[in-house]
Amino acid sequence: MMIICVCRVGIHCYNVHNRNSLCRTNMLLTWRIRNHVSSIRGISICKVRECLTERGQNLHWFESSRQELHFPRTTGLYFDTKLADGRIDTASCGTATKGSTMFTEILLALVVGGVVYFLVQRSKRHQLKSEDGWWGEGTPMAGEEDLSIRPYTVQTDDEELEDLYRRIDQTRPFPSLEDSQFNYGFNSHYLQKVVTYWRRDFDWRRQVEKLNKFPHYKTNIEGIDVHYVHVRPKNLPEGVTAVPLLMVHGWPGSFYEFYRMIPLLTQPSNPDDIVFEVVCPSIPGYGFSEAPHKKGFDSVCAARVFHKLMKRLGFQQFYAHGGDWGWIVTTNMAQLEPKIIKGLHLNFAPPSKPGLPVVLSIMLGRSFPKLFGFNEHDIQRIYPVVQNLVVESVKESGYMHIQATKPDTVGRALNDSPVGLAAYILEKFSTWTDHDFRNLDDGGLTRKFSLDDLLTNVMIYWTSGCIISSMRFYKENFSKGLDQPHSKMPVHVPTGFACFPNELMHTPKLWVQQKYRELKTFTPMARGGHFAAMEEPELMAQDIQNFTKMILRSQLDTMRGACKFDQSPHYFCLKQ
Amino acid sequence: CRHLESLPTNVLLDPTQQQQLLVAGSAVAVGGLLTCYYWVYQGTKTKRIPIGDGWWGAGEKPQSEDEKVFPFQVQTSDEEIQDLYDRIDRTRYTEPLEDTGFQYGFNSTYLKKVVSHWRHQFNWKKQIAILNKYPQFKTNIEGLDVHFIHVRPPHREGQRVLPLMLVHGWPGSVYEFYRILPLLTNSLDSLAFEVICPSIPGYGFSEAPHKQGFDTLAAARVFHKLMERLGFSDYYLQGGDWGSIITTNMAQMKPECVKGLHLNMLTNKLRGFGVLFSILIGRYLPWLVGFTREDVRRLFGSVGFMERNFYEIIRETGYLHIQGTKPDSAGCGVNDSPVGLAAYILEKFSTWTDFNNRDLEDGGLERKFTLDDLLTNIMIYWTTGSIVSSMRFYKENLKTNIDNRLDNHTGVYVPTGLAAFPNEVRHVPQSWARDRFRNIYSYSYMPRGGHFAAFEEPQLLADDLLQFVKKVEKL
Repeated sequence: MMIICVCRVGIHCYNVHNRNSLCRTNMLLTWRIRNHVSSIRGISICKVRECLTERGQNLHWFESSRQELHFPRTTGLYFDTKLADGRIDTASCGTATKGSTMFTEILLALVVGGVVYFLVQRSKRHQLKSEDGWWGEGTPMAGEEDLSIRPYTVQTDDEELEDLYRRIDQTRPFPSLEDSQFNYGFNSHYLQKVVTYWRRDFDWRRQVEKLNKFPHYKTNIEGIDVHYVHVRPKNLPEGVTAVPLLMVHGWPGSFYEFYRMIPLLTQPSNPDDIVFEVVCPSIPGYGFSEAPHKKGFDSVCAARVFHKLMKRLGFQQFYAHGGDWGWIVTTNMAQLEPKIIKGLHLNFAPPSKPGLPVVLSIMLGRSFPKLFGFNEHDIQRIYPVVQNLVVESVKESGYMHIQATKPDTVGRALNDSPVGLAAYILEKFSTWTDHDFRNLDDGGLTRKFSLDDLLTNVMIYWTSGCIISSMRFYKENFSKGLDQPHSKMPVHVPTGFACFPNELMHTPKLWVQQKYRELKTFTPMARGGHFAAMEEPELMAQDIQNFTKMILRSQLDTMRGACKFDQSPHYFCLKQ
Repeated sequence: CRHLESLPTNVLLDPTQQQQLLVAGSAVAVGGLLTCYYWVYQGTKTKRIPIGDGWWGAGEKPQSEDEKVFPFQVQTSDEEIQDLYDRIDRTRYTEPLEDTGFQYGFNSTYLKKVVSHWRHQFNWKKQIAILNKYPQFKTNIEGLDVHFIHVRPPHREGQRVLPLMLVHGWPGSVYEFYRILPLLTNSLDSLAFEVICPSIPGYGFSEAPHKQGFDTLAAARVFHKLMERLGFSDYYLQGGDWGSIITTNMAQMKPECVKGLHLNMLTNKLRGFGVLFSILIGRYLPWLVGFTREDVRRLFGSVGFMERNFYEIIRETGYLHIQGTKPDSAGCGVNDSPVGLAAYILEKFSTWTDFNNRDLEDGGLERKFTLDDLLTNIMIYWTTGSIVSSMRFYKENLKTNIDNRLDNHTGVYVPTGLAAFPNEVRHVPQSWARDRFRNIYSYSYMPRGGHFAAFEEPQLLADDLLQFVKKVEKL
């Protein structure tokens, strides 16, 4: 018996597209077929074809050899370590030498392999654990869980609108301080304009129709009704399955944040683009999802609930995208079941647990930007540190502090006053889109958004009466301390990060890498802020496309399953 | 600090170790004292703060000011009450989470009870009659109509009458003092007070500033001008919450006018070697850092210093953070919803009276207060629509770095009396207070009571104030 480690080396090199090893692998292949080595698996057939083509041979040659040897069609090529006769063809395995040298090499390889294996396993061993919960009223009902999926339609009636209008009319306005713009919060003069539009021109019925343009559903998970939008692509070519993508919103947003992006993903105009099947759930306590009735529903619980949702919808594997809370929820999903999340795309990822590299980069980054991979924009956003990272954060985190401690107190009035609710929510859409908007009389709100879209989001909070429960999510996530297992744990799922220039908390690549160990793409975006999906849907959709293509391509290289391969590397779709 | 807490308090040491510890301890202590001295020295470079001037009215400052003082009465109308009832009836309640008491803020189930009392039993007209029991006035200072109560004691033979200003805080109002007023003005003691209770501009019936920047220093100056206009040249001051900071600023501004300063809330910076040293050592060697047994109990309690003075404070200062940054956003809804306003304000009356009230379904509100009193305070905020401007006061004070403010680097040299109530949000021992207050005449550990001392324990506060004034007057 003999272990062929040259073969492994060959394969390894082969993956990094080394021309020499390509030849060697191919020679090995020939040699193996000649020597009746029966177990070859792992490498995608397309790669085999690629290397054969390079050597002037064709797939037909391989196909006939394969059939002759009765290799199953689903296997690619991977050299097993066992040889039947123990003989070694020195011509094809150039580096395989004899006797003791080889033994040392094997030993070394085993030790190095062992250490690598140990390190990888150690970091992977901390898979996030979570236990099933029950968030409905009282105790869980005995008997079968209700797994039914019910279509849902957003509705409204005259009574609701009349009540809204009466409340708007009875608002007790108070003047803003002179020259204070948006620095004291939502400017009350501009609020009057927003309210006038809301009262006179905004057509909630039309917006409801717009909301119902995509199909909504509800299903009961862990005792609460979870609402989601599920958009299957239309006119999908025969034999092609769309790529499933889960998109999770944040606060003070809703699933509506994604409404402009959904068609770009489900019906891409470019034929080279991937067609997605999109699921946008409402976090329990937000929008049309039922609010948890018990305390303790944090981001890990939301992640577990969404995993259950995707399983219920029949997805074995899928991609996930998130910003704001959606960032933590999808990250937790990747930590809970890394094998199910094929790729994680984020547009918000401040370091939840700043480690030594982050601290060092803050301290030394200004003097040695290259050492930490900082570009000009990074420097501009980070320094001066006290002003940009501390003072600005303190100035903008009052809402978080009160929502994380007394959500029921601060939310109480907002649930009674539509205008108060609009001021509270829309201030965030102004300031988080661009910090400089605080110095504008109108908060720059309509520079990037339409009042219709903004008010539709506010109306989702208003009609569902969810502001208090949406605020409680802060308390649930913060009250257990900042030392939660998931905040310390790295993520091993392929990750893509879209770095929008006006994001609330700027996060340079190095910082993202600390947590997301498999950062595949990091894209500095041309423009946009915190509500990127709503503000710049095209840019965001494009980045999701690029990220997914990249993952598919690299997975194709190493995939064990079969794949259909066409001429252009851009033209691939998964076959079920 | 956590490590220290985990140490057993009675560690047995052999003599050599004891000696080493003593030497190390002394060295640290000497270093600490030197640092303390340095800090103290640094802090006393200026002895008073400039008075300054301001204009807070709408538009430009006019040539001449109207110094007239005109009487004021609280009023209401059926329309106002009907509007209130309409809004209360349309409240959209949210169910509280199961078994949370007041931990998530004001409990909605109990809120319904409060609101039912408000709607059906509470009589605003009756409460207005009570409010108008004491003579009220307004006068325009720096462009703002400042509201105040002015109570003169009935003439009694042989009784000395001293002027006293009481300043309220947030989320209180002049009504906080309605139970202590008769104790101060109508006492049979050899001493009585002529009391002036102003509403801070932006609070209650005082006009809200129209311009940015109205902070405690401005309020202090406005109140000095008020006293001057009323003809007082030297007077006593008493305050809690914002009132304590405003009155302290008044004492720093015109020490010659302030005969004595009595506070029931103190703040100090948890910084500087002396303070940090006393935090580390205080629990084990309280005498070394000038702590009493009671100081140790209040500072460290059963939960430890960090939990009691840091984490608890973080949990309780969300309101401060949002009001200090985005008051207009936070207040807009509260100004529209009477029930939201009540929840926002009354949560503070529950938690700041006793932190343990957070675990109660009813927040322990009615243990120390009557709903009528609490709702009267709410109605003052509601009818004047002053919640937003009251919140802005936080922003104006927190806008600039507190450390850079002159009043924080200036000692207080007027005779000072401090009443430390056991359930006050933070306890400040006398040894810490001395850093700033250089002339402490009395420091009392009050037997019971929390943050709203005048409202909750008027008799205790009045007694302490009286003994302090007697000490100052050498009676």
